[in-house]
Amino acid sequence: MKDATPITEQESLEIIHSMIQKAKTSYHDRGISSLLWGTVVTIASLISFLQIQFQFNLPVDIWFLVMFAIIPQIIISRNEDKTIKVKKYEDEAIDTIWMVYGISIFCLIFYLNVVPAVTDKLLVNEGIELLERNKEALGATKPFHYFIPSGFSLFLILYTLPTLVTGVVKKYKPMIVGAIICYVMFFVSCFTETKYDMLCGAIAAISCWLIPGIILQRKYLKSKVSNV
Amino acid sequence: MFKDLDPILHSQLRLAVMSLLIGVKEAEFTFIREKTNSTAGNLSVQINKLKDAGYIDVNKKFKDNYPLTTCKITKKGIDAFEEYVKNLQAYLKTS
Repeated sequence: MKDATPITEQESLEIIHSMIQKAKTSYHDRGISSLLWGTVVTIASLISFLQIQFQFNLPVDIWFLVMFAIIPQIIISRNEDKTIKVKKYEDEAIDTIWMVYGISIFCLIFYLNVVPAVTDKLLVNEGIELLERNKEALGATKPFHYFIPSGFSLFLILYTLPTLVTGVVKKYKPMIVGAIICYVMFFVSCFTETKYDMLCGAIAAISCWLIPGIILQRKYLKSKVSNV
Repeated sequence: MFKDLDPILHSQLRLAVMSLLIGVKEAEFTFIREKTNSTAGNLSVQINKLKDAGYIDVNKKFKDNYPLTTCKITKKGIDAFEEYVKNLQAYLKTS
């Protein structure tokens, strides 16, 4: 593009239109974060399902290990920052949503771990004892500990939020479809046992992050090859 | 009565730079050069003109020992661009 040539009003309009389009389409997400979280959450959900199905316990909580995926995520984010040549307002908004999502997941884990024990304590303080009775064992009773039913369903609602926002803002259909599948999995998980909730979680992670991540990675590699 | 089109913006490369920057928070010099298909020398001259007019902010720093120039549109630049588009539409409506 040269600058000395005089331009007509029509040409001005064309330049404005084409440059705005170029800025809009300059999105080169490599999909590494999606691949990372898609893989980690899928594996953790499947292992949780297998643990319940085949009655075995790993020496460590698999979901505790998921938290360690934050370390490679920080490294990925730093590397991506180095390669990004243009910062968009929408990217900043999306990054904030994912950050809020991370904090919300942490809060939800805290809630699920703390609320049952606190509720038990509050009930004891009020002089209330909950008991569960087994009808088949001729009315045998034992203390009932408060718990939050289908807690995993709450995670599924949270998974949907940033995924759907990213998909809509970036006009990236695989993530929109993934988020809709995740919503469906949420409704399914409300009616199923905990072990099947884990399978719902695995399906949600595959559709929300793993498949969109694979597609993004392929697109990125393709564009890289075509630029050589 | 038509207003004159802003001479700072009514030029191929400067208008392209402003149109790119209007939709983003900030962009590196290499990104702008790539998208406008311009030479580094010419782009540098035009960016300086936009900077002198107060339409863009230019930030020069070092990243991994390499110079890095980033450009960002200013409030004055946004107003000027909007005014330019408005005047352009008025011209096109009558022609």
